[in-house]
Amino acid sequence: MKKTILLLLMALFAMFVVACGSDDVETGTEDNDSVDTEQDTDQDETTELSGDIEFMTIDLMPTFEEYLNGVIADFNEVHPNVNVTIRDVPLGQVEQVVLTSAAGDQLPDVMNLNTDFLKRAGALGAFVNMDEKASHVKDHYFEGLWNAGEVNGSVYALPWYTTTSSMLYNPELLEAAGFDGPPSTYEEGWEMSKAIYEETGAYGNLIDSNIHLHFPRNGIDLLNAEGTAATFNVPEAVELWEEYKELYDEGLFPADVMLNQQPISELYAQEKVAWWITGAQLFGQINDLAPEVYNKSLAAEPIVGTAGVTVADTMNIAVSSKSDNVDAAVEFAIFLTNDQNQLAFAHEATILPSTIEAANDEFFSVDVEEAEVSQAGRYYAAQSLENAVNMSPAVENTTEIYEVIRQAFQRVILEDVEPSDALADAEEQVNALLQ
Amino acid sequence: MYKTRHAWFFLTVPLILLSVFTFIPAIAAFILSFTNYNVFQPIEFIGIQNYIDVLSDHSFRNALSNTVYFWILVTPALIIFPIFLAILVNQKLKGISVFRLIYYFPVLVSIVVTAILWRWMFAESGIFNYVLSLVGIDPIRWLTSTKTVMPAMAIVTVWQGLGYYMLFFLAALQGVPKELYEAADIDGANFVKKHVYITIPLIKPMIFFVAVISTMSAFKEFTLMLTMTSGGPLNASTTVVLLVFKEAFERVNMGYASAISFVLFVVILIITIINKKFLDTDYK
Repeated sequence: MKKTILLLLMALFAMFVVACGSDDVETGTEDNDSVDTEQDTDQDETTELSGDIEFMTIDLMPTFEEYLNGVIADFNEVHPNVNVTIRDVPLGQVEQVVLTSAAGDQLPDVMNLNTDFLKRAGALGAFVNMDEKASHVKDHYFEGLWNAGEVNGSVYALPWYTTTSSMLYNPELLEAAGFDGPPSTYEEGWEMSKAIYEETGAYGNLIDSNIHLHFPRNGIDLLNAEGTAATFNVPEAVELWEEYKELYDEGLFPADVMLNQQPISELYAQEKVAWWITGAQLFGQINDLAPEVYNKSLAAEPIVGTAGVTVADTMNIAVSSKSDNVDAAVEFAIFLTNDQNQLAFAHEATILPSTIEAANDEFFSVDVEEAEVSQAGRYYAAQSLENAVNMSPAVENTTEIYEVIRQAFQRVILEDVEPSDALADAEEQVNALLQ
Repeated sequence: MYKTRHAWFFLTVPLILLSVFTFIPAIAAFILSFTNYNVFQPIEFIGIQNYIDVLSDHSFRNALSNTVYFWILVTPALIIFPIFLAILVNQKLKGISVFRLIYYFPVLVSIVVTAILWRWMFAESGIFNYVLSLVGIDPIRWLTSTKTVMPAMAIVTVWQGLGYYMLFFLAALQGVPKELYEAADIDGANFVKKHVYITIPLIKPMIFFVAVISTMSAFKEFTLMLTMTSGGPLNASTTVVLLVFKEAFERVNMGYASAISFVLFVVILIITIINKKFLDTDYK
């Protein structure tokens, strides 16, 4: 019987090895090149695209099912032999789904991905180089957004919908502290924060876990142009962190928000924070949590740092380099992100398009006095598109770099480490990561 | 023969399931721990390099230290408190089953829901600090201090595991012969002496069992940390399994993550052997 069990185990293991050991894994990028070459040749021979494409979306179903099916139907009018199916995954599981799919050689052909993971996997050769495959449409997109998918000198995705920030504020809290409008700069914001905190106990400016963004917002580069060395350990950064430490010691921002343990949306809904600088698409969260707070809230322009730029947070559309139908997949990615489809999507959701022509459409010009607060928020966000930049460095290990900076700042705030020491240590660690 | 064949059939089905979902992936992970596997690129065997890196990795040592600290906080509490609780609910009182149900109830709550609820309560402006403020105590930075974050996690784990382990001890208590307690009563033993000299020795195999499974679950804990603190602040609540998750799914170092898993496996194995040596002794 022992032999039978042993044989059974061996057979199962052999099945597993055979299932996992596909030739794609062994041949890797060389095969990808050959697939591309073959498909380029095919494309030369016939312009008609065909095949099955799986399109992975993030948390868009069933809310936007009709819109996405409409895009696919329109695409099929031009390319009737391409069969597109949608696979929607929850936001928190994108990385796991992509990695497990890739391990099983079942990577979706077209994928909606966040910028950090895109860079991580793009650097490993997972996606098609869009600088080569879609260079003819590059000028349609905002330059700063096109570059969001750049890593090691190549762009691995098309920018899809994007969000820039606007401000949602609670006029009652401002009024209680003697203010008739929101701040326009961080400096003014901190001054107002002190008064609001003293009068109402609510916060104003908050520092969340994205502390690394405070450098480019204030004209401090994270890395050099080549992406080979950290450049944030400068006197301006030391001064900025010293100021933040003083503000924390005065109780003007809570540690749990900085540590990403407390969502700002919840604090805003509880009227524990006077304003929230975020994408207008998130304003609806307040309506879900506390409609009475949402109804009295107003939208305004976002606060900008000394550099006068805002952050562009872009959703990317990448194409698997192992797709059996790379050309059809790239064509679908271009179609999905074109002016017409992004504008139509903006009608369905509170997002901004990444293409210049769509962003200039009169749809985004609303009367902010009359408009509903999220529409007004989108108007302000759209106005900031021109000053929006992708603040993510074009290197593969952005996640680790952000984590190093985040932890250095936490040591300053929670463990009273000198900002100059923390920054010097962080610089050393980031330089080690970039080796 | 007929019965034997049926028995083999019923044993084979779970064996196949265990093989497909546990043993084969474990063997595959062990093989991957000697590679630089990152899903997207060809696999290269790199010998024991991952294991050398693990042992010299500050992040791993920190995660292991956090995990051991969490285990020390959690496992004794998950033995002592459930024994007390089991002794209490083992009394013949009217409505005692309602108490058993109430104590068991936290086990039924999803770990993610538990984590979110406790995160709210532990927040700087949460209910715990509010209650402390009513009696003039300064707020505690439950989840935002490197010193208090692990004890806070342990409180949540003990709260949720109390009822689960109570059931094991309740089952063991019901197997203790009543005559022994009656004899102890005649000898004039008090409540404490009866349980120290009769109950504890007789339920020692169950104590060993609970020690082993609560140790394993303490070493495997990661959902709570991921949901409540993401391993922070300053990695003070990063456990080994959370580190494995981050290495595998955030940094795409599958080979390295596999190596960490096997080092953890060896650590758990050693602790289980030590547990067995001290606790798994037959009552004579």
